[in-house]
Amino acid sequence: MMIKLATEENSLTKGLQQFFKRLLATEEIDALFLPVRLTASSSIMPSLVTDADQIENAVPLSPAFPLNSGRMVSRLSYKLSGRKTAVLLRPCEMRAFIELIKLKQGSRQELILIGMDCPKALTASDYTAYMEKDPLADDAYIQKVFSEKDDTLNGFHFSSACQTCENPFPVNADINIFLHGVDLSEGVMMDSGSESGQKILESLKMPEASMPANREEIVAQIKEANSIANSAMVKDIEEKTNSIPKLTAFFDRCINCYNCRNMCPVCYCKECVFNTDVFYHQPVQYHQWAEKKGIVKLPTDTVFYHLTRLAHISHACVGCGQCSNACPSDINVFELFKSVAQQTQAAFEYSPGTDENDPPPLSVFHEKEFEDIIGIERE
Amino acid sequence: METFEPVIVAFVCNWCTYTAADLAGTSRLSYPSNIRLIRVMCTGMVDPQYVIKAFLEGADGVLISGCHPGDCHYINGNYKARRRVKLLKEILPRFGIEKDRLRLTWIGASDGIEFAEVMTQLNDQIIEMGPSQASVSKAI
Repeated sequence: MMIKLATEENSLTKGLQQFFKRLLATEEIDALFLPVRLTASSSIMPSLVTDADQIENAVPLSPAFPLNSGRMVSRLSYKLSGRKTAVLLRPCEMRAFIELIKLKQGSRQELILIGMDCPKALTASDYTAYMEKDPLADDAYIQKVFSEKDDTLNGFHFSSACQTCENPFPVNADINIFLHGVDLSEGVMMDSGSESGQKILESLKMPEASMPANREEIVAQIKEANSIANSAMVKDIEEKTNSIPKLTAFFDRCINCYNCRNMCPVCYCKECVFNTDVFYHQPVQYHQWAEKKGIVKLPTDTVFYHLTRLAHISHACVGCGQCSNACPSDINVFELFKSVAQQTQAAFEYSPGTDENDPPPLSVFHEKEFEDIIGIERE
Repeated sequence: METFEPVIVAFVCNWCTYTAADLAGTSRLSYPSNIRLIRVMCTGMVDPQYVIKAFLEGADGVLISGCHPGDCHYINGNYKARRRVKLLKEILPRFGIEKDRLRLTWIGASDGIEFAEVMTQLNDQIIEMGPSQASVSKAI
């Protein structure tokens, strides 16, 4: 079922706020989880809302992307709460959450997942600067980026994750919000992706509408443009990191803070091996390394850590870019991870976050597969 | 000219390949001493981290060897190892550690002769490839 959600007082944001208010007022929904502008600050953070008055501060579509909320939704849903929550997620957040469901770290049993055409994002530091300089208010931002197709935000650029994203469209949601191809001065389009989504849209009692004809064309254009940007980025980063000495140089500013791991929505271990005694080396160990090589950088295990993370989660990388966002040393971790992720995902024909029933590649095996990697050629 | 003596780390499973190595020994077969055997209970317990660490510490080659498909004493550990090796063979070459420096073989408990042959072949091939560029001097 597809409906058109009209603007309210000529505002898209208010129209969406009205939708969420009506959602919260229904019997089926006890709480909302969506980005909210926190009081007396420009920060927009994902928040769990039960008070309808607070929805006035909700900003469903903005360039603020402080963290991947997929991981927060996992916290809300890894056990039953007895409450039904409607959750608004960006496409990469949705993909991350689907990966966490597969790992039994979340469940959609008590959730209504609402996906959307991605409103794109600035990096955290750019977002702060942008808000201080000359912020476009919520509606003006959306009109500029979606209707006028103007990507220059007063000199700021969208994060490289967004510029190279090949799938900034909703998947796997109960309700989808569409922006591309829609006349945003009138409202947004919504359709249901599941029975429970359909039930909710029906309860809103809005007339049925149909998808604008040119949407598919716009979607194809975006995919193509971002795919070209992605290929260029991958080629560039491969050139920069195609040997271990180059990789070591790439990470020479890394201080082993593990922020990239902490903010990675699909880094799934409850306790990371790099936090265990395995890496709490004996003092004599450092001396032995130094004696063997003449010099040892501290903290140690930097390249080892990043390669391990690639082995653990590159197949599940959803390309959200939060690893780069979280890096205090401004290392472009995202570009490296995406370039490797593409390769491992292709090798296992795996597309993270797309199909809930597609098991993570390292959790399964087949008797007959990858025969070509076995053995040693004999003369 | 000084001949290149590679460092090869081999993770071998207790039930098949290690037993084959034992058989090779008791049969007085010889194989290159460049190969350092590390006995593990099953190839399914070889964490990709072990392989990454070996390369970063300067190994020129890494071998994982276990039971033939269907013979695993833990039912399916070798199938899991195969997926992990596949994964590493995608990641490591991206950073200049050539695909062929990491090998996976199945050598059964009674294959003492084959064990010695495979080790010799592996050693020859790694010598031909030359030293790995991966030994990291400053960072580890």
